[in-house]
Amino acid sequence: MSASFSERLLGALNAFFEGVVRFLPGLLAALLILVIGTVVGWLVKVVVRRTLAVARFDHFCDSSGISQVLNKADIRATPSKLMGSLFFWLVFLSFLMAGLSALEVEVIKRLISEFFLYLPRILAAFAILLVGFLLGNFVSRAALLASVNANMPSPRLIAGVVKFLIAILAFAMALEQLEIAKSIVIAAFIISFGAVMLGLAIAFGLGGRDVAKTVLERQLKDLDQPRDRDGFSHI
Amino acid sequence: MDEPLLPPSLAQELSEIGPVDILVGIPSFNNARTIGHVVRAVQAGFAKYFPDQRTLLLNSDGGSTDATQEVVRTTSLADFGTVLAAHPIHGVHRIVTPYHGVPGKGSALRTVFAAAKAVTASACAVVDADLRSITPEWLDLLISPVLRQGFDFVAPLYRRHKYDGTITNSIVYPLTRALYGKRVRQPIGGDFGFSGTLASNFLEHNAWHSDVARFGIDIWMTTTAITSGSRVCQSFLGAKIHDVKDPGVDLSAMLTQVVSSVFTLMENHEPLWRSVRDSEAVPLFGFEHTVGLEPIRVDVGRMLGVFRSGARDLSAIWERILAPETFASVQGLTRAGDDRFRFPADLWVQVIYDFAVAHHKPAMNRDHLLRSLTPLYLGRTASFINETADADAEQVEDVIEGTCQEFESLKAYLVERWNGLQGGES
Repeated sequence: MSASFSERLLGALNAFFEGVVRFLPGLLAALLILVIGTVVGWLVKVVVRRTLAVARFDHFCDSSGISQVLNKADIRATPSKLMGSLFFWLVFLSFLMAGLSALEVEVIKRLISEFFLYLPRILAAFAILLVGFLLGNFVSRAALLASVNANMPSPRLIAGVVKFLIAILAFAMALEQLEIAKSIVIAAFIISFGAVMLGLAIAFGLGGRDVAKTVLERQLKDLDQPRDRDGFSHI
Repeated sequence: MDEPLLPPSLAQELSEIGPVDILVGIPSFNNARTIGHVVRAVQAGFAKYFPDQRTLLLNSDGGSTDATQEVVRTTSLADFGTVLAAHPIHGVHRIVTPYHGVPGKGSALRTVFAAAKAVTASACAVVDADLRSITPEWLDLLISPVLRQGFDFVAPLYRRHKYDGTITNSIVYPLTRALYGKRVRQPIGGDFGFSGTLASNFLEHNAWHSDVARFGIDIWMTTTAITSGSRVCQSFLGAKIHDVKDPGVDLSAMLTQVVSSVFTLMENHEPLWRSVRDSEAVPLFGFEHTVGLEPIRVDVGRMLGVFRSGARDLSAIWERILAPETFASVQGLTRAGDDRFRFPADLWVQVIYDFAVAHHKPAMNRDHLLRSLTPLYLGRTASFINETADADAEQVEDVIEGTCQEFESLKAYLVERWNGLQGGES
């Protein structure tokens, strides 16, 4: 009985130490990969920041309105520093995943492969949101300027609606890319987009009938003018 | 690959004509109503002032859908005796041709320059197709200074309604004068004389895909002539009465194209304008006289409506372009009523200089930047109309002269801000 107990104890200890011995190299390898990942991530961060500084990325963000959005969100870091940090974490996460896979744990390995399969979708969604944001800013500013210069009523409202529609479109595309509740997102987009357009049509057609009439009359009158709208030649 | 400067059919026609002494170009687009008068004036001018010269009239058309081309082909002066002239010895060659490139006056004139080079013209002139007040004398006044006095470039000097040409009066003339030191009163007048050599010089520049190809061509020609050291003069042509420039183009687009060209030229010629301190008059030909001009209606209320809308809705954009004190002063203007509204000249000059600096290193898309100038321009124009409501032509000219002097005296402000920008870049 006692022999059996000691055998079992030794067997368990052996199994434990064998497990530890089997696991240790993997753990050490994982730690080493993490250290390398930290160093590589840091190097990438420095390179990205310096490259963006040379490319005047912060200036571009100032002019495109990205900096203002960051300020509103109380993010004080400059856009180039932010991008550097983003790249650091991307590299670090990749190395972390590689380190975890070195542990040879089946569940973790499966999660890691799913993460790497999903990563391109995250990046694509991020790119879509960024492009949507830049496009929305650009087009809404163009609409604002055109409305002011044409002496149209409520230029800010017009610009806001344009920006909102582009933001909705970009957001829906990003969610579709991430495959989050795909059918619900598409349905919600169609419903909300349709509702906005219908609302505008009703508002302009019924509520703003007189405004529409005035605007159209003014446009038609301008077409009939033989001279410049102001009665003299500006040029 | 660039398209050839001259369409093959035009090159063929020009080679058949051979060398000419004088070439007059008429750029056109849907000008059937007025171009017949312009063609007759040019024919009469050739017959009366250059009867023994070989002459060519070239209509460079932008694909008119009305009868413009037909009118040019068929119009002729029935009786030269009515203008006290005999038939020209060599006759008047006449060509109607489409132009290549970006649609606009600049591309049309590029074809004229290329034709002038092909026929080795000694003197050239270009006149707008929408003119109602052109007379045969205009040909003499635009061509003779080149042909007989050795000048390279002849700018027009008109008698215009006091409110006509406000982009010229409030921006282009004072700014060009302050920058390059030559008092060319109508730098974007549209009707110019120039030598064949200068026409070839124009062709060597690579600016034909920018706003120069459109409304920017006039200021580009004038600035290029001044900065290349050409001999520049002015000719007094009398009244300028013409149809609306291009009914399809709105004020904002027109202003953007012209100002964009002026600011781009500023960048190209920075070393030159930095060294210029004062301005000097250029020689003037022609007999100055006053002319009666039709009264015109003005809508100051609409202009101020756009200005106030700009101050309210574009403040975030203006704040990024204007210096803080300039921005605050502009915002302060909105409180005045329509009749009492004034946009001081010194503040206006600072606005233009701030826009020039912002255009140099844009903090936003350049087209957006320049389009945000429209409400400010209309505010300044409304102020000018209020200020000169009871003024005669001479008094109006004094007001414009005052604006020019502000531009010159505040040039140090421009240089300082321009330098500040360069310091910030390093």
